Amino acid sequence: MAKRITIDPVTRIEGHLRIDCEVSGGKVTNAWSSGQMWRGFEVILQGRDPRDAWIFTQRFCGV
Amino acid sequence: MEIPLNAQYIRNMIMGAHATHDHIVHFYHLCALDWVDIVSALKADARATAKLAQSLSDWKRNSYQEIKGAQERLQALVDSGQLGIYGSGYWGHPAMKLSPEVNLLAATHYLQALEYQRNINRVVSILGSKTPHIQNVAVGGVANAINLDSPTALNMERLYYIKTIIDEVREFVEKVLLVDVAAVGAFYADWTTIGAGVTNYLSAPDMPLDTKGTIFELPGGYIPDGDISKFTPIKSFDDPYFEDNVQESIKHSWYDGDWTRHPYQEETVPHYTDFEDDGKYSWVKAPTFKGKPAQVGPLANVLCMFAAGHEPTIKYTTQVLDTVSALVKSKVGVGALHSTIGRIAARAVRCAVLFDTLDHQWHALVNNLAKGDMTIFNQPEFPSGIQEGFGFHEAPRGILSHWIVIENGKIKNYQAVVPSTWNAGPRNGRDELGPYEAALLGNPVADPEKPLEILRTIHSFDPCLACAIHLVDEEQNEIIRVKAL
Repeated sequence: MAKRITIDPVTRIEGHLRIDCEVSGGKVTNAWSSGQMWRGFEVILQGRDPRDAWIFTQRFCGV
Repeated sequence: MEIPLNAQYIRNMIMGAHATHDHIVHFYHLCALDWVDIVSALKADARATAKLAQSLSDWKRNSYQEIKGAQERLQALVDSGQLGIYGSGYWGHPAMKLSPEVNLLAATHYLQALEYQRNINRVVSILGSKTPHIQNVAVGGVANAINLDSPTALNMERLYYIKTIIDEVREFVEKVLLVDVAAVGAFYADWTTIGAGVTNYLSAPDMPLDTKGTIFELPGGYIPDGDISKFTPIKSFDDPYFEDNVQESIKHSWYDGDWTRHPYQEETVPHYTDFEDDGKYSWVKAPTFKGKPAQVGPLANVLCMFAAGHEPTIKYTTQVLDTVSALVKSKVGVGALHSTIGRIAARAVRCAVLFDTLDHQWHALVNNLAKGDMTIFNQPEFPSGIQEGFGFHEAPRGILSHWIVIENGKIKNYQAVVPSTWNAGPRNGRDELGPYEAALLGNPVADPEKPLEILRTIHSFDPCLACAIHLVDEEQNEIIRVKAL
């Protein structure tokens, strides 16, 4: 029977990454990659001045 | 609209310094410890390590004294009883294969790399005012005041300081990073056949050299099916080949509905369902290029630049592959790059390429200033009615594109398709696996409670590594907490 491995979280900035794997016979047989937080910038930016977008959107990422 | 040349060059130098900083940190501090056993380095013969190091590279800091000093620092850390950042690693794992001497060499360069990553990041701070989250960008140019004679503006002293840093860190990348990556690749040659996953590659051309963004120092484009002879370039910042072929699907993402749309037509309405293996299971959307998932990042970028005949890319790729071939005593070709270890090697190649670029951009800026051109900004105009537009950039983790719909000068719709969206995305509208998922299939897992091999493949994409990784084995209902490497 396949063994399920969940690695949660695998990230340290802009939200969490979760990786799920099914392992059978010592090898990965199925995998799921899951972003665990909603970004929400698309909603924050609606109605704003386009010249301000860059200062918001670079906060997607801390590095 | 057009961007002044000075602004292009300043932006390009920030991009180059930021990316090389990322690539150095990623290899030594985030990824190498998946392959290098730090504890084993304590058992190494420092003299033998120095001899090995000097046979591989003429780096000035490969002396016995440097290496012995690094070993003593590690020993002092262990003796203190607090391993700190080295605590709870997978030391002694059966998949760790390097000799104590190679481990010590990598550990020595790990410590040295801390200095060089800090230095190259200074370039971002000088030009961008701070890092992360630079302050100098403006729509239409940059906000860097330039006055070569003023102590309070971007002047010759600052420019020469930047040049000094570029030269210093460039030497580290060419004599240490490229060599270490080739050595690790050679010792783990079996990993050239693991972790390819999605082999449709997408990258952006970058480092624009003209005001209109039609000439780029670094080429980019699309390679389907891992076949570099099928490379199609992206030619300009408004190339319809890119604009028309990007879509995102939310069939498996926590958004309302089930659609595959172009970014201009997208909406972002959350709809959380908990984790459903066959349904929705991620906040990340699933992007496609020409209807298919695509891998992005330094490997995609290097393959596209290689296919485009970009000379520095061919030079550094050949250098790494030749070093690997000499160490394993058989010819290793470009095909080996479609793998977990290939993603790591390509990142080092790109880092070296970017130092050539940084040097060119610095000279281009200084030469343009010498002509008396101090322009940094052109005022943008926003006509009434609806405008659609997009921008792209080859970020450290791959192609980044932002899509905007403007109505009467205000944002109506904004969508960002970031590198991690491409690579970490879930299954798409046709249930095809995303690049992380596809790359994991077939990965060996020697010990499910210490899934080092899964981390090797995931880390090879340069995701944001966790401060803490929690493992849940559902069968045994046991929770294992593993601190980040």
